[in-house]
Amino acid sequence: MALTICLSIAAVLFGIGLYGVISQTNLVMIMMGVELMLAAAMLNLVAFWRLLHPHTYALQLFVLVVMTVMALEAAVGFALATQRFRSRGSVEVEEAADLKENA
Amino acid sequence: MENPLTLLVVLLLFGGGVYALAVLEYWSVAGQLAWGRPARLVLHLLLQEEIRPRQSDTVLYETAPVLFLAAAALAAAVLPWSADAPLLGLATGALFVNAAFAYVMVAMLMGGWAVNGVYAMLGGWRFLGQLIAYSMPLVMALTATVMRAESMLPARIVTSQLALWNIVYQPIGFGLFYLAALALAFLPPFDFPVAAGELAGGVWAEFTGTRLLLFRLGRLLLIMTLALAVTVFFLGGWQGPWLPGFAWTFLKTLLVAASFFGVGRYLPRLRYDQLLEWSWKYATPAALVNILWVGILLLL
Amino acid sequence: MTPLQLLFLGVFGLAAVWFGWRVFRTKSMVRSALSLLAAMVALGGMFLALDAEFLGVLQIMMMAGEMSIMAFFMMMYMMDPGGMSSMNMTHQQRPAAAVGIGAGVLVLALALLTPWPPAQALAPSATQQNHDLGIELMTRSMMIFETAGTSILVAMIAAVATALAYPQQPD
Repeated sequence: MALTICLSIAAVLFGIGLYGVISQTNLVMIMMGVELMLAAAMLNLVAFWRLLHPHTYALQLFVLVVMTVMALEAAVGFALATQRFRSRGSVEVEEAADLKENA
Repeated sequence: MENPLTLLVVLLLFGGGVYALAVLEYWSVAGQLAWGRPARLVLHLLLQEEIRPRQSDTVLYETAPVLFLAAAALAAAVLPWSADAPLLGLATGALFVNAAFAYVMVAMLMGGWAVNGVYAMLGGWRFLGQLIAYSMPLVMALTATVMRAESMLPARIVTSQLALWNIVYQPIGFGLFYLAALALAFLPPFDFPVAAGELAGGVWAEFTGTRLLLFRLGRLLLIMTLALAVTVFFLGGWQGPWLPGFAWTFLKTLLVAASFFGVGRYLPRLRYDQLLEWSWKYATPAALVNILWVGILLLL
Repeated sequence: MTPLQLLFLGVFGLAAVWFGWRVFRTKSMVRSALSLLAAMVALGGMFLALDAEFLGVLQIMMMAGEMSIMAFFMMMYMMDPGGMSSMNMTHQQRPAAAVGIGAGVLVLALALLTPWPPAQALAPSATQQNHDLGIELMTRSMMIFETAGTSILVAMIAAVATALAYPQQPD
């Protein structure tokens, strides 16, 4: 029962995060969608740890690594956004078509 | 859960301590002990007319003071007052204290943004800059005390100091935690978010009435909690010769809080970028050295 | 799992989903970031209800700092942080909704149709967990954690280097 609740909540959060990543135009909002997806993955991991393997601490370590990844990609993403804003004046991905070939 | 009588004593001492801190704060500014002033101020703020800024963000405007008070109170709930009053003895108590303190910052951010005023917003964002500065030394100094106790339970951290208090065992850690606590409670010289002269009152400028009362009360609660944290983690908590445990905790907490108010008045206000430079160039390496020091001492 | 734990799990889960949905539906940018913070706190509450005390408290603590910084960057870089005008900041909404719903349904189907082993009733106590997690970190998973530490350092240096403002070189 608990496993069903946790896995379904994580599935819904993953879907919402994916919707956010694909539908938003702003880099910061896209990163928020990615954070939601990673959070859904963490929820799955903690549910598996508690309900299937409570004595395997490697799963908790996996959660720690995922948390680290969340922080890292936020940091590097914001650095990219800063540099983009400095050179072009906006962080919209719709306007980031510099490398795109014409037709 | 322990004896409800000890709980009542702890609550009374906490409330009395917060009142004494209000008196001490005015003493550090004006030089006189006005015992009736906090009560008059509470009445004044409760009866004050509530002025709402135009186009303020309603949800955040209402949430900010309550979150501020709640975060400070939650942090206080895990710190033990004596051997038989550990309150909410969480196994990850030291980490929980950090988490609660982080939400103090979120509440100030909310408060600064919600009131639709430039100076308030600047005060809120500058407090975020302060958090980046004080967060690392705070957490690392606490980590070194946890290393010594081999547990995150605050009661265990106190009992680990039976032989030697942490202020002597890891003095660098104590200094860093003390300064980081000053920055967390935005006391002078780190009082940028509510700078009276520079930011026209900063984050609190647009709050009136009951909300301002919650903010000011929350800040006094925060200072009391920080002094209690310094006592529990570095000054041996309830250990002392003749008086009962909670009396020693109370006395040490009041002493630390009085020093909080007195120390900063002699320095000019520090900007957040000076604070950031201090923190990342000097304080974080010093905290790492402190952890190394404690590790060497533990292995010897 | 006691019924009280199940209740907390359900309540926090619904709160996480609702706040996560509000992230992409609200017009004010700072409210969006703080709504994500509320979703993460609800998730941390679920971790606490699942007896993972260290992970829950760590999640709640880290997300406070992270989401506040996200709110700050949103205010810096976005055109309408207060949400006062009604700009449309989305594109390709139909394909995005289709992909989101499709992925969610797929994961949900996988979760509900797989025959999971029976759930274990008891978990170690919080102090035992802290101790064992520390031992695991320092003995078997030392390599993983050191790699994570080095990658954090690399990411910090990379982020600072990327965000530096170089003076314009005379061409």
